[in-house]
This record gives sequence, C-alpha cells and structure tokens, in this order.
Amino acid sequence: MARAKHLILFALGALALATVASGAASETGVTPTTVTIGGTTPLSGPASAYQSVAKGAAAYFRYVNAKGGVNKRKITYIYKDDGYDPSKTADATRELVQQDKVFAIFNSLGTDQNLATRAYLNALKVPQLFTASGATTFGRDYKKYPWTIGYQPNYRAEGTIYGRYVVKHTPKVRIGVLYQNDDYGKDLLAGLQRGLGAKAGLVKSKQSYNVDDPDVQSQIARLKAAKVNTLMVFATPKFAIQAYVYARKLAWRPVVYMNAVSSAANIMGLSTAATSKKQTEGTLSIVFLKDPTDPSWRKDAGMKLYRSIMKKYKGGDPNDVYAVYGMSVAHTFVEALKKAGKNPTRAGIMKAADSLNIRNDPFLLPGIAVKTGAGDHFPLDQAKMQRYHDGHWVAFGGLFRVR
Amino acid sequence: MILAFDWTQLAQQVVIGLASGGVWATLAVALVLIYRSTGVINFAQGEMAMFSTFIAWSLVDHGLSYWAAFFLTIGISFAGGVAVERAVIRPVERAPVLTVVIVTLGLFFVVNGAARWIWSPETRSLPNAFSTRPIDVAGVAFSISDLGTIAVSLAAVALLWLFFRYTKLGLASRAAAVNPDASRLVGVRVSWMLALGWGLAAAMGAVSGMLTAPALASFDQNLMQPVLLYAFAGAVLGGIDSALGAVVGSLLLGVLINLIGTYVDWVGTDLRLPVALAVILGVLLVRPAGLFGRPLESRV
Amino acid sequence: MRSRAPGIALRLLVAAVVLVAYLVVPHFISDFHSRELAGAGVFFIAIVGLNLLTGYTGQISLGHGALMAVGGYTTAALVVHEHWRDVWTIPLAGVAAGIVGFLIGLPALRLSGLYLALATFAFAVAIPSLLKKFSGLTGGSQGLRLLEDAPLQVTGLSGTVTIFGHSLTQNHFLYYLTWGLGLLGFLIAWLVVRGRAGRTCRAVRDSEVAAASAGVDLAWTKTLAFALSGVYAGVAGSLLAIQVEIVNPLSFTFLLSILLLVGAVVGGLGSLGGMIVGALFVQYLPQLSTHVSTAQGVPDFVFGAAIIVVMLLLPTGVGGLLRRVARPLTTRLYLRP
Repeated sequence: MARAKHLILFALGALALATVASGAASETGVTPTTVTIGGTTPLSGPASAYQSVAKGAAAYFRYVNAKGGVNKRKITYIYKDDGYDPSKTADATRELVQQDKVFAIFNSLGTDQNLATRAYLNALKVPQLFTASGATTFGRDYKKYPWTIGYQPNYRAEGTIYGRYVVKHTPKVRIGVLYQNDDYGKDLLAGLQRGLGAKAGLVKSKQSYNVDDPDVQSQIARLKAAKVNTLMVFATPKFAIQAYVYARKLAWRPVVYMNAVSSAANIMGLSTAATSKKQTEGTLSIVFLKDPTDPSWRKDAGMKLYRSIMKKYKGGDPNDVYAVYGMSVAHTFVEALKKAGKNPTRAGIMKAADSLNIRNDPFLLPGIAVKTGAGDHFPLDQAKMQRYHDGHWVAFGGLFRVR
Repeated sequence: MILAFDWTQLAQQVVIGLASGGVWATLAVALVLIYRSTGVINFAQGEMAMFSTFIAWSLVDHGLSYWAAFFLTIGISFAGGVAVERAVIRPVERAPVLTVVIVTLGLFFVVNGAARWIWSPETRSLPNAFSTRPIDVAGVAFSISDLGTIAVSLAAVALLWLFFRYTKLGLASRAAAVNPDASRLVGVRVSWMLALGWGLAAAMGAVSGMLTAPALASFDQNLMQPVLLYAFAGAVLGGIDSALGAVVGSLLLGVLINLIGTYVDWVGTDLRLPVALAVILGVLLVRPAGLFGRPLESRV
Repeated sequence: MRSRAPGIALRLLVAAVVLVAYLVVPHFISDFHSRELAGAGVFFIAIVGLNLLTGYTGQISLGHGALMAVGGYTTAALVVHEHWRDVWTIPLAGVAAGIVGFLIGLPALRLSGLYLALATFAFAVAIPSLLKKFSGLTGGSQGLRLLEDAPLQVTGLSGTVTIFGHSLTQNHFLYYLTWGLGLLGFLIAWLVVRGRAGRTCRAVRDSEVAAASAGVDLAWTKTLAFALSGVYAGVAGSLLAIQVEIVNPLSFTFLLSILLLVGAVVGGLGSLGGMIVGALFVQYLPQLSTHVSTAQGVPDFVFGAAIIVVMLLLPTGVGGLLRRVARPLTTRLYLRP
C-alpha cells in the first residue's frame, strides 16, 4: 500500500515536471528580474494577529530588494488570507501554485494549515519552505516529504528540555501542567514526559483548556488542589497571564516554566503588573529570538537594523516579536536563494535549504546558527535557558540543541 | 472515594464558577436589553463592549484617572449605541427579523475590524475597578473584584428595573416594545425608544467590557468572543427577556460548567461547554421560556 | 389559466440557459477559477438546504456548519479508514447529515424561535470539541487528510479525470461535479417548494396555529424539514472535503454556520434563485475584502460593511429584489388583457 502510494506520487510528480519542462528553460516563478514566492497567513478572523510574521518577512524582502535583490532578482512575496482555516489554506495554496505560478511556498502559518497542503506540494515537487509551525513532523519526515522543511524549534523538543532540566536540577518536585487542548499543547506535554523519562510520575495533574474558553480559573484551582509546586504553562499569552493572576488569587506561588510562545518581555511585564514581582520571580523558559520588548537589546546592532527596517518598509508594530521571527525566516530564505546560484531551480533551492549554515542572522540570539545537513532538517534548533529575575529575563548556561 | 472527598475543593470551584458567571452576566444583561427593545440577539454586542474597552484603555493611556475614564466611556458608548441604531438598525426596522440579525452579524465584523485597524493587536491590560487582593475564607479563596463584578450586574438590574418601572421614559420604552402601534397613537416616539434601548445596551456592554478585561487579566481584540457564547447561553437559560434571569442564568452556568469540568472525568475541560449547553437544552424542554422568562403567546 | 402556457415556456427557457451556462462557463475562465466556482457551489448547496428550513419552514438554524462537518467527516472517514472512492461517499454523507439533522430537529418539537436557535447553536459550538474528542475516527485536532493517507481513492490524482472517454482537468471535474449536484439539488428543492410539501412548510412558517388547525402535523413537518436540510448540508460538506482533500475541526467553526446564514439572507429567504448570488457573495467577498487592503482589521471591516450595505439596500435579499422586478414584468408580459 505504502509503496503504491509512493509510486503514484512519483508518477504525479513526473507529470508535473514534464509540463514544466516543456514550457521554458527557466524555472516556474523565476524571471531574469524576479523570484515570486507565496504563502498563507490569517489576515482576517480571530487569529489575524499572527499576520505579523508575514508582514515582518515582507518588510525584510522590501529591504533586500531596495539593496538590489538577490542576483539582480527582486523577491516578490505574495501572502494570501486563509483565516486560519486549513480548507482555505488548501485552496489559497493551489491558487498560488496554479494561478500565480510561484517558485516556492514560503512561511505559511500554522501546523494544520501546512499539513493540509504538504501531500499536494510534494506530489507536484513544489518546495514548501520554512513552515511557520512548531510541529516536529516538518523536520522529521523529510524522507517521505523531501520538498518540505520546517524552521522554528519544535514544541516537543521544548517540552523535553523542561523535563530534562527538572530531572537534573529539581528531581523531587510535584509537577502540574496547564496545556492547550490541541497539537501545540499536546506536543509540549509529550515532550515534557519524554524529557522526564523514568521520572514521568512527577507529573501529578494535567489540566487542559480550549482556545475558545474565556478563562482557566477552574483549571488553576484544580492544579493547586493537586498540591503541585512546579507549574508548566503550555499556553498562549492570554492564558499564560491568567495562570499567574489566578494562582495569586489562590495565594499559590509555584515555580513556573513558561513556554516560549508566551515568554515575551511585554507579556511577562503584564503578568508581573497584574500580580507582583514575587509571583513571576524565578520563572524559567527557553529563548532563541531577540525579543523587541526586552530593553537589554536596545543597543544591539541587529535590533537596530530590525527597527529601521520595520519603520522604513512598513512592517507594522515594531514591538511584535512575531515580526522578528518573520524577519529571521526571510533572512534565511534570502541566504538559501543566494546559495541556490545564479539560476535557481526548485530542486536547487531545496538542496540549498537542506545544507544551510548561517551564523550571522542578526535577529537571533548571538551564537545561534541556522544549520541543516544530511539527516538534520531542523534549521533552527538551538536555544538558551532564561530565568525571570526582578522584572526581566536573564539568560544563563550555554546554547543547547532543541531537537 | 467519598471519604476522600474534598469539600474545600467543591466550595472553591463553586466560588470560581460564580466569579466567571458574574463576568458573563454583565454582557448577558446587555443582550437582554437589546432583545427587549428590538426583538433580536445582537451578535455584535460583545464586539461593541470590546470596542468600549479599548476606548477606556486609550483614555487611561492618555492620562485620565480610572474612574473618569470609566464614566466617560459609558457616556461615549451610550452615544455610540444610539448612533449605531440610527445608522444601521433603523433602516431595517420593518424588515424581517433575520435581516436585522444579519445586520448585527455584519456589525460584528465591522467593529472587530475597526478595533484591529485603530489599535495594534498586542495584548494589553486595563486596571481593575476593584481590589484584586486575595481573600481567604476557610480555605476558599476569592477577591473583592469577584464580589464587585456580581454586585455591579445586580445593581444594573435594579437600576434598570427602577428605570423601566418608575420613569416616564422607561415606561414609554416598555410600551413601545410591547405594542408599537398603540404607543405611537398615544404619542410615544417608538423609533427613538429603540435607539434608547441600543444606547442602554451599549452602555451596559461598556461596563461589561471594563469589568471583563481585568477579570480575564489581559485583553486584545478577541476579548469578548468567548464571553458572548457564555453570556448568550446564560441569558437564554434565565429567560431572554428577563435581566434578573440573565444574571442568575449566567451564575448558574458558571457553576455548572466548573462542576462538570472538575467532577465528570470523561467530560473534563474539553467537553464542558457542550455538556452545559445540553443541560440548558434539557431545562428549556421543560420550561420553554427559560427560568425567569414569560412564555410567549402566539396570536393567529 | 391564460398565463400558464407562456409561464412554462419561460421556465423551460430559463432552465435551458442555466444548463448551457453550466456547461460552457469553465471554458471562459481559467482552470483555477473553475475550482473557485466549485467552492461557491458547495455554499450554494448548503444555502439552498438552509433556505428550505429557514426561508420556507421558518425554523432558524445556527448549526448548519456543523451539519456540513458531519457530511465532510463521513466522506473523509470512509475514504481514509475504509478506502472508499471519494465520490461514492457523497450519498452516504448526505444520509448521515440528514439523520443528524432529524435529531437536531427533535427539540424543535417543543422549542421555537430564539430557543430553537440556541439548540442549533449548541450543536455548532459542540461539534469542534466532539471532533477532537473522538480522535480515533476523526483524527482529532489534526483532522483527516485524504491525499496524504489514501491518495488512490482521490479522484483526479494525476491532474485529469476521464469520464465516458472525455478527459478534463481535476478543477473542471470538481466544477461539473459540484454544480451538477447543485442544480440537481436546486431542482429537487424547487419541486418540493411548489408541491404539497412546500405549501405545508409555508403554512407552518406563516402561522403555526393556523397550520395546526388546518390539520398540518407541525412536529413532523419541522423535523422533516430539518432532515432534508441536513441532507443538503451533508452533501455540501462532502464536496468540500473532496475539493480540499482534508477535513479539520478548524474548518467547521461557528463562523461557517454564520456565513451560511448570511448567504441565505443575502440571497433572499424564501427564494431559490437568489441563492446563487448568496453563494457567490460568501465565496468571493472575503477574498475581495483582502484586496482592498491587507492592513490589520481592514478585511474584516470591509466584509462586515459589505454585509450591512447589502442588507440596507436589499432588506429582503436578492430574492426579494428579483420578486419585485420579475413580478411586474411577467404581469406586464402575460397578464395584460
């Protein structure tokens, strides 16, 4: 069955290739003066705050284009609305491929959204570059889906780090978990359990919430009632802030591990302001991007560049950490495109994306490299631990692998 | 199992349910106000409340004191509610009910879009009207602000009751809702009475938003969307034309949901809303007009 | 009586024009645009079904998106788990959603108006959670992926489909399939509406008391209307799954139910012809809104403003406008002595 499936996909790909090859010598989406890429992002609906990723990336491309582009080609980046609905992603991606004839799909946002188009894009051998998703599958399953590559550190790996850290430093605690009832939350939870290994029994209570719940007050009370003293918060900012606020209301002060999704300095600042410095003190998290709301980067050259691009090329709100992420992923695409040579092809850009070694990304923590190679299809897989102390984050320890 | 039963935990979950329900109640009352004047559910009620919250945030951000911003926002929202009614509801006053419902759905998108357009989508916080200092009674924790929120909705119900019962304007607007044609004959300006209903609802919504934002610890443009679902369910449970019913219904719903989530393992937190709605449906099958609602009589 | 013969001729003429348009439209637009039209066809089928319930029987449903989910998931589960050919699942998807529609209709026996809306609303809100809970069947929050897990069952896998010796692109195939079923559904709806059943439904809509005293079985009529409407939604959901080759809980949120209602009201409740406009409206308006500007919030703002403007200009929808325009016309043409 599996083999038959692969044969079919292969035949399909061959067909697609034949139609492309008969057209012209140059690659789809590439002209002597332009390279056209596209992706999907929610521009409408409740999830539309995520569009800052695409807007940050677009601003960076405008900046690169203003400096002459890549090999004299300007990058055209089309992002289409999917309202965070995977069915619409499927349609919009087909529009990009069939109608707009893009060179590659780039930076489409969301796990389910990228999964919705992966089989289609791989069948047609259209590169699905740097998916904006924390799911492991985009880096892990490259043998089955060679035209897909992820970007950011994945959630499972982040959970694993917290688990290992607990085992190493505080092996006798009682752990409670607040997680979002979807793949994002469950991946972090699974990672935590993997990291705890034989100590998985330390987890005494797991409480989930739905993303459309108004509050998590009840869940926090149940965690406290389970007498846990270490709280893993695998939740989006709104619920992360609530975790602190409701814990304080119950006069409960556990050690908090805050997932990177909600650890931005402005979010932690809101939590601290709504509770007290004592409540957030000692919170642990991982970090890999430079946080635009963190005052310690104010004089950093990379962040100065970021702010000037955001201003000059209309990237939107400069305090939005999603925009930093967007710039980083755009920076990586530009490097990959350079590497793909004077006449980039779809196969060429995949090869380039699979053999990256970028050490100067100005938007990442110093020392972090965007690196891929044989067997390594996780471009961004390094991070640091950080601890919240006296109202701001302090990174500590060395870089380590998030895998 | 019974031996190990933790009564404090039960009490704590009930108290938390009341606190959450108290927040929904404020919006539920606003829904009732519109329903009584226009006969529709205003799907944009939550978004209007969210917009009011952003106005309050801007006022505080520009240096106004909290209470000045609070009352100014209520005033602005009242005017806004009247303006919305005049601009988009009045022209469809005589259209089929569903047309009016669809207009409120359109308003939902317009108001939400406008709020995203005007204010960036970052997470914000609004100061609390009441103290959030934790209070502990026999191991059950709550805060002044929980009590305050419930008190505000009850006070609003009382004020509205007084207004509709004892003021000339209130009586006129009730008359206009019950029998528009007869009211018109005795000189009530029926159309303006509807606008008054929208204004009051918007003002109530503003109060709701300003209480909800601190109660949920932070807010953005999605503040009221989840709340609207619960407020709607609470209002229907209480009987959609009764303000007191809306408050009681919301409080009951809050407690019900937390107890289901805590004690029915299989349901857990993921299915608690569907189960709660099923329970409400059960109640409605027995009492089709809700707990406090008046049964409708149909005329041929 | 005099007007009857020309009336039939006019109807035949309209039917012929529609049929010809159905056949030739894909040849005038790009391949991808026929795919978009197929997407509008999905809305069309669901909205025609909703109109039978809301427009002709007077029962409000805020849960039609959830009925579409039942259809879509029936198709996806049969394809992925049982390896059915995708198109053969369509009838079963319709039946499944019809049964669920019947069950939702049961509270309608006792509830009316707003309270019935709550029952359907509860169903719409519950569906995403239920889909996540029963993950063995539904794939949980990741949903099911037809092309990834059962590519051999997907029609048009190689990019073309051959029917009776004619080869057409996958997008054209989807267009003909969807609108073919759409026109069939339209015809059935039209026959129902103008027949005895339709009169019974309208009687219930206009006055339950009067209908009951005339011997109409209220409960039975309402529940059947729910069931029939569910079949339409199920077929629409099934076609959606076949078109996008995935199903996911995120695609069947409350928003979908609302969009369907908007489409039905814009098209004009109680009018079948207007539904085409309603379907095109909900299919294309969100996209057009992002063309105005992609700035934060603007697409939503434009979308909502367009809904309001249409409602203010056409309070009874496009159908109401058609009635107003067409009636004097036919009157002038045929009834003049």
